[in-house]
Amino acid sequence: MNGRPDAPPLAATAKVKNAMRLVAVDGHGYRAGLRVGQTLSDARALFPDLDVFDDDPDADAALLEAIAAWCDRYTPLVAVETLAATVSGSAPGLFLDISGCAHLFGGEEAMRGDLVARLRAAGIRAHAAIADTPGAAWAFARYSDRAAVAPGRHSKELLDLPLAGLRLETEMLDMLRKLGLRTVGCIAALPRAPLAARFGNSLLLRLDQALGREEEAISPRLPVPELSAERIFAEPIALVEDIERTALQLAGNLKSRLDARQLGARTLELKLFRVDGHVTPIAVRAASPVYQPERIMMLFRERIAGFHEDMDAGFGFDLIRLNVTESEERPVAQADLGGGQSRGEAFIGLVDKLGARLGTDRVQRFVAADTHIPERSFGLVAQAAGSAGTYSWNADGPVAGGQGGAAVLTRPVLLFDRPEPVEAVAEVPDGPPIRFRWRRTLYSVVRSEGPERIACEWWRDGRGGQSRDYFRVEDDAGLRFWIFRQGLFERETREPAWFMHGLFA
Amino acid sequence: MQGTDVRQRMEALQDAVAKVDRRHASFARHARLREKNGFVRFGIDAVDAVFEDGFPVFALHEVRCGLSRDIGAAIGFLAGLIAGCMKNRTGRIVWVCDPACRLDGGQLFPAGLAMFGLDPARLLMVRPADLKSALWASDEAAKCTELAGVVFQVKGNPPRFDMTASRRLMLKAQQNGLFVSILRQGGEEEANAAATRWCVSARASAADPHLEKGIGLLRLGLVLERNRNGQTGQWTVAWNQHEHGFEHVPADYVDCPAATPHRPDSAPQMGQVMAFERAS
Repeated sequence: MNGRPDAPPLAATAKVKNAMRLVAVDGHGYRAGLRVGQTLSDARALFPDLDVFDDDPDADAALLEAIAAWCDRYTPLVAVETLAATVSGSAPGLFLDISGCAHLFGGEEAMRGDLVARLRAAGIRAHAAIADTPGAAWAFARYSDRAAVAPGRHSKELLDLPLAGLRLETEMLDMLRKLGLRTVGCIAALPRAPLAARFGNSLLLRLDQALGREEEAISPRLPVPELSAERIFAEPIALVEDIERTALQLAGNLKSRLDARQLGARTLELKLFRVDGHVTPIAVRAASPVYQPERIMMLFRERIAGFHEDMDAGFGFDLIRLNVTESEERPVAQADLGGGQSRGEAFIGLVDKLGARLGTDRVQRFVAADTHIPERSFGLVAQAAGSAGTYSWNADGPVAGGQGGAAVLTRPVLLFDRPEPVEAVAEVPDGPPIRFRWRRTLYSVVRSEGPERIACEWWRDGRGGQSRDYFRVEDDAGLRFWIFRQGLFERETREPAWFMHGLFA
Repeated sequence: MQGTDVRQRMEALQDAVAKVDRRHASFARHARLREKNGFVRFGIDAVDAVFEDGFPVFALHEVRCGLSRDIGAAIGFLAGLIAGCMKNRTGRIVWVCDPACRLDGGQLFPAGLAMFGLDPARLLMVRPADLKSALWASDEAAKCTELAGVVFQVKGNPPRFDMTASRRLMLKAQQNGLFVSILRQGGEEEANAAATRWCVSARASAADPHLEKGIGLLRLGLVLERNRNGQTGQWTVAWNQHEHGFEHVPADYVDCPAATPHRPDSAPQMGQVMAFERAS
């Protein structure tokens, strides 16, 4: 917050303990004596022109999430800290597990320096520390100037830090302070049993976690990709063609590793790290395992073409990473001796192309379900997902009137997603309609067949579900409708309702 | 010196081989197009009479219905047509649905299509978010030689789907040996590159021999409005469920029962009948 030297101090306020209090102050205000927890009226007494805005925890969380996404450039294992609000200490932070990653950035110290410098350039003052355990790193980042602690030395260094560095609850901290225990070293030397009896297990757990006696795992915000390749650009790139070419190169880098394992990628993700820290992930899903760089690039090309207008390249991307998030064993295919495409490949290519441009959930196939309720008897699932269903359609349909094979068409070709209410008049309460009004038009029925009764599924609809009596009716113009009456007269309801459910050919 | 000589001869030979290959490929393609299954018989003498070589399968065809509510008839005719044309062909059928069609409510019911002999498992439903992507999707699908057919369902006469777009579909259908069809819901006649254009409407069905007032063989009114390979015409056809095919209904059939006798005749309709809107 050094961008406004002439402006008055800035503070965020929220209602805490029945008073408006400061929950965050900028550096200028801190140096001038403002503190978190002060009431707003006290602060105003110090600075009548204090700039105040409401605290917005959701925006804070969103910013932290965006920073976490950006931190993916350093390591795939980034965790957002989730601590109870009662824990003493400042705002939540991020944990980065950099095991095995630091050498890519020229060592731990260089990596930390790079991270802090880039965040500072983006206007964020960050404290970062590197240590053997997440607990120790948390403490050093907040209560010490030490940036990096040599491996194996953190337990000694930790002893001088205040107890707040152990991620303890405020009440417990107050109690410890009253007893004169102020540093980690004070309690590390004490016998454990009385401490546990007096303060509960959490104190010893936090102590052990910080000292490395107890294992503590961070929970990464994203699953670790199975394979990944990346490319850093000295000069940011912004053209779609360049992004596509990079995707092709990265896919080429991945190919040897996919080949070695005989795997193909089902879902892939291209992460574009913009210079200003924004991260654009582009995910695609292939209809069959892919490993050819050209096909992988084609998927991304279509995906980018699909939302081209929405992508904001800004000042360009300086890091592009290709992740394989889901892989599958390659199907064994007999190659064509003529060198042409093997059978089925063109169709899979088409599904991939359509799915990448339009979204895989818009390229679907029908699956049959084991039920008689018409609208539930089929579903549309993405062609790219999974294998075929177990049920299929009988070309003859349900047997009508006891004759072998249906002589007539008993099912409409068009079905309304949601049956539409119609006003119908029937001669007898359980007979076919003779007139009905649908979508404000009156139709008079000339021919009708039915009813075909479809009972409700009590195991799904529960008690009180109503049967449907379906009629196939034809009006005087020859239009054929599938219309049903919901509820059996006098057995299930006094006033059955009529619905239009489909159109016949 | 000698090296370049050899290389030149090599290149000349490779050129010659490539030329032979190309000719071979074009022969094969022409042969496939001239194949018998490129032209099928409709199965109705009266209809076959207007197609000189037979009904061209590998072309663009348009099936339209004048009123939105006749869409059932149009889908039924198209399903029967596809099933008839695809008897000895395997491969999937891509059905691209313009989003405007779905706003009207209703979607294809697979069990009903199966009754027309069109296996729903062969269908690949593509439902793009706008007409532009729908056009792109049907264009892409028409490029795929492994498909059996492509259906592009569109509502009305959108200006974006013009002569050029339809000609592209027609060319791809011929080149790649595909049955490509436009299913136009509630649209007007429009000049485009389609080989045939059919206007389908529902007709009163035949009497049921077993049931008084029952619905017999379903009948459709067909108007062949455009035919690049012959004459146009109009017929009434019935769908024969046993044979899975259409059959001709002579023009002078009279088996429509009288409308409800106990009421006075309904008032004559005024004005034009418009496509219906949702009441709810």
